[in-house]
Amino acid sequence: MTVVPSTHGERLAAFENVNFSYEDGTEALRGITLDIRKGEQIALVGGNGSGKTTLAKHLNGLLKPTTGRVIVKGSDTRKEQVANLARIVGYVFQNPDHQLFCSTVAEEVRFGPMNFGLAEPEVERRTERALEIMTLERLKAEAPLSLSLGDRRRISIASVIAMAPEVIILDEPFTGLDAGEAESLMDVMREMNRQGTTIILITHDMRVVAEHSDRVIVLSHGRKVFDSKTRTAFSDLKLLRECGLIPPPAIQVAHHLREYGVSPEITTVEELADELARVLREQQ
Amino acid sequence: MTIFIDLYSEGNTFLHRLDPRVKIISVLLLSLLAFVLSTVYSLAALLAFIFLLLFLSRASMGRTWFALRFVLRFMALIVILWPIFDPAGTPVWAELGPVKVTEPAVWRGITSAVRVGCLACVWYILMFTTAQRDLVRALVRMGLRFDYGLTLAISLRFFPSFMATISSITDAQKARGLDFNRGGLIKRSKKHVAVLVPAVVAALRTADSLSLALQSRAYGARTDRTYMRQLKMRTFDYVALTIVTMLFIVPLTAKYLFLVHF
Repeated sequence: MTVVPSTHGERLAAFENVNFSYEDGTEALRGITLDIRKGEQIALVGGNGSGKTTLAKHLNGLLKPTTGRVIVKGSDTRKEQVANLARIVGYVFQNPDHQLFCSTVAEEVRFGPMNFGLAEPEVERRTERALEIMTLERLKAEAPLSLSLGDRRRISIASVIAMAPEVIILDEPFTGLDAGEAESLMDVMREMNRQGTTIILITHDMRVVAEHSDRVIVLSHGRKVFDSKTRTAFSDLKLLRECGLIPPPAIQVAHHLREYGVSPEITTVEELADELARVLREQQ
Repeated sequence: MTIFIDLYSEGNTFLHRLDPRVKIISVLLLSLLAFVLSTVYSLAALLAFIFLLLFLSRASMGRTWFALRFVLRFMALIVILWPIFDPAGTPVWAELGPVKVTEPAVWRGITSAVRVGCLACVWYILMFTTAQRDLVRALVRMGLRFDYGLTLAISLRFFPSFMATISSITDAQKARGLDFNRGGLIKRSKKHVAVLVPAVVAALRTADSLSLALQSRAYGARTDRTYMRQLKMRTFDYVALTIVTMLFIVPLTAKYLFLVHF
C-alpha cells in the first residue's frame, strides 16, 4: 500500500526507480521511487539492514544509484561532487566520533562553511548561530574529544547546521543520548523545520517518529513498502510488524480500544488522552 | 573494485587440510628454493609447480586474479627496468644515449621477475588455504609467545573493521564539504588530517574497550594455557613435508656439492 502524500513546498529531491547494489552483490535498494519536498519532516524507518542509511547516502551523492536516477535540486547526483551536494544536503552521521578532529568545538563547527570557501565574516556568523542553536556557546573553546557523547553528538549536528543545508539527515541520532537530551534535540529540529529546513530522521524510536514527523517512509529489504502521513502510517499493525516495527504504546492502546470508538489515528500520549476523554464524554 | 583483506576462502582441498605448520615450513622452503635456483628454466619450472598448487587450491578466479594482478604488474616493471640499470654483457641489442640494452641483461631481468613471481605466489597459496586463526595457532605451536599470537590475531581480525571505519570517516568528512581532489599536493595531504585524527582516536578507543573486554573475560588469569583444538600431524602431513624438503635439498646439494648449475 502506497499513499503518496500531498505535501507542501517545492520538490527538493527525487528518486526515480533507484536500484543499488554494493560491490559484494548485496541488493540494498530495489525500485525506490519517491519525492522529497521542502519543509517536510520525514521519518525513515525499517529493520536493521533494510536500506535506510543506503537510501539516505544517495541524497548527498556518497552513493550513486546502480540503475535509475537521483535528482537533487534539478541535478543528477551521478554528475555532482559530494562536496557540492553538501551545500544542499547535510548529513549527521551515526557516530559523531567519525568526524571530530579539531582542537576546539568552534573550529569543528567552522570546518564545513570553510570548505565552502565562504568569506570570514559569513563563516563566523554561521558558526555563532549553529553554536547558539545547539547551546554550545559555553563549550566553544573546549576540545571536542574530551566532551561527553551527548555533547559530541550536539557538536556534530552544529557542524552540519553551520553549513546551512536545505535538508538535514539525522542518522540514528539518539544512540547514547538520555531521554531529556533526545527530546531537546527533537525540539531543535522542530524549530529548524519551522524555519524551512527539511528534516529526514532515521531511527528505531517509534515514539519519536509518531511525535516528530509528518511523513513516514518504511523500508523492508531495500523496498519502499509504505509511504504516508504519520497519522495514518500506524493503522496497519500487521504490515508494520512484518517490517520489524512496533508502534508506540499510545497508538497500541488506541488500537486495542478501537471497538469502543477510539480512533487509532493519534500520534502522542496527549492526543490519546484527548481521544479517550472525548469517547468517555460521549458515553456519559 | 573489491578488496580482499583476508584472502582465505573455505575449501576442502588437500592444501586446506594440510597442517598449517607444514604449510608455513613448505612455503619458507619453496621461497628459499627460489633463491637457490638461478636459471630462468628451473625458476619457470618452479613457477609452474606453484601455479599447479594454486590451481589445486580451488581459489576462485576473482580472488586469484585480484592477487595476481599486483604480482604481474610488478614483474612487468622488473623486466622493463632491469636492462636499463644493468648494461653489462654482450651482445648489445639497443643503445640510446647512456642506456644500453644487452641480451644477458634482458635475461637477468626475466629471471628476477620469475623469481619474484614464485615468491609472491607461493605465499598466496598459504593465504588462500589457511584461515588466519590456524596461521596464528601454528605460529604459537612453533614457539611464538601466546600474547604475541593473540596480538597478531587481533590485528588481523580488526583490520577489515578498521578499514570500514576509515571509509565511514572519509564519507563523513566529504559530507561536510571536504573535497580531496581540490588543491595542490600540500593542501591535499593536509586534508587527510581530517580522516587521520578520527581514525587514530577510533583505533585507540577500540583498543581500550577491547582490553577491558579481555580482562573481564579473565584473560591472563592462568599462565599455563590449554587448547580446545590441538594441531596434530598425520601421515599425509609427513609425506607432504618430506616431498617439499626433498624438492629443496636436492637442488641445493646439486648446486653446492656437485656444482651443477641450475
